[in-house]
Amino acid sequence: MVDAKDSFYIALRDRLTTLNPQRTMMARGAVRPGILVEEAEPAVSQLPRDVYVLRWTGVSRDLSLPSRMVMLNCEIHYCTAGSDAACGLDRGRALTTMDSEVVEMLEPASTPAMSFDAIPATATGGTTFWTTPSFGTTIISRDCLGRMAKVTVFARQAEGDE
Amino acid sequence: MLRRASQPCGADGDQVGLGRGSYQDSPLSPAVFRRVRANMQESAECGWELLLSASSVQAQVSAAQLDSADTLFAEVVGLIVGTKTFLIEAISSSEAFGQVYLYRLLLREAQPKAQ
Repeated sequence: MVDAKDSFYIALRDRLTTLNPQRTMMARGAVRPGILVEEAEPAVSQLPRDVYVLRWTGVSRDLSLPSRMVMLNCEIHYCTAGSDAACGLDRGRALTTMDSEVVEMLEPASTPAMSFDAIPATATGGTTFWTTPSFGTTIISRDCLGRMAKVTVFARQAEGDE
Repeated sequence: MLRRASQPCGADGDQVGLGRGSYQDSPLSPAVFRRVRANMQESAECGWELLLSASSVQAQVSAAQLDSADTLFAEVVGLIVGTKTFLIEAISSSEAFGQVYLYRLLLREAQPKAQ
């Protein structure tokens, strides 16, 4: 399962770098693409703006799927207050841009599964794939507009996961 | 009072929680650390407050070659007091004549590990 989560994040991160190289953030002393895994970063009271935050929320198994397949629920949170240059009046457009980037990051809906336990990462020979995103309603919080998109990522359960 | 920040880490493993990054502790001084006014809500966590001299914060910003105090605080993994770790809940600053002279951090104690 952990390889699927890692591969999903790395795939989205690399796609974001291609889609919008300007969407970067400073995190833990390094400039990185503007996407992070919430559970792999220091706990914060407020989600950062203008970046994508992946939140893993659940694990389940569908009996109609092969027995070694599990479903991982991922929420992609993002919010924006627009640009300073436009005094935030472009926040609606900025949110729409982020919506579009989420759609594009998630296409195609699969990536080779990799293991990041060793350096360099090694291919496991499998494929990580996911559903099309379902987008929530716009969340208005003071000067910020935000949204959450839900995706189900499918993972083949490894021997040690049981 | 120690500020614990991770060393620059941009590797894939660091970003997915493999924890290969190393950490650096820097002393924050002078500082006032105190419990904030008692919270009367049942089962609510008690908060803590940290008051920091802006000049000491600015010294760390310069030493770390960062652009602002916000960036410095954003890189904090935890604040260490004695053997306990605290997380930053909110940050505010006080100014006089256009100059920041004090940073006020609201802290929450990290969940203790099982013994």
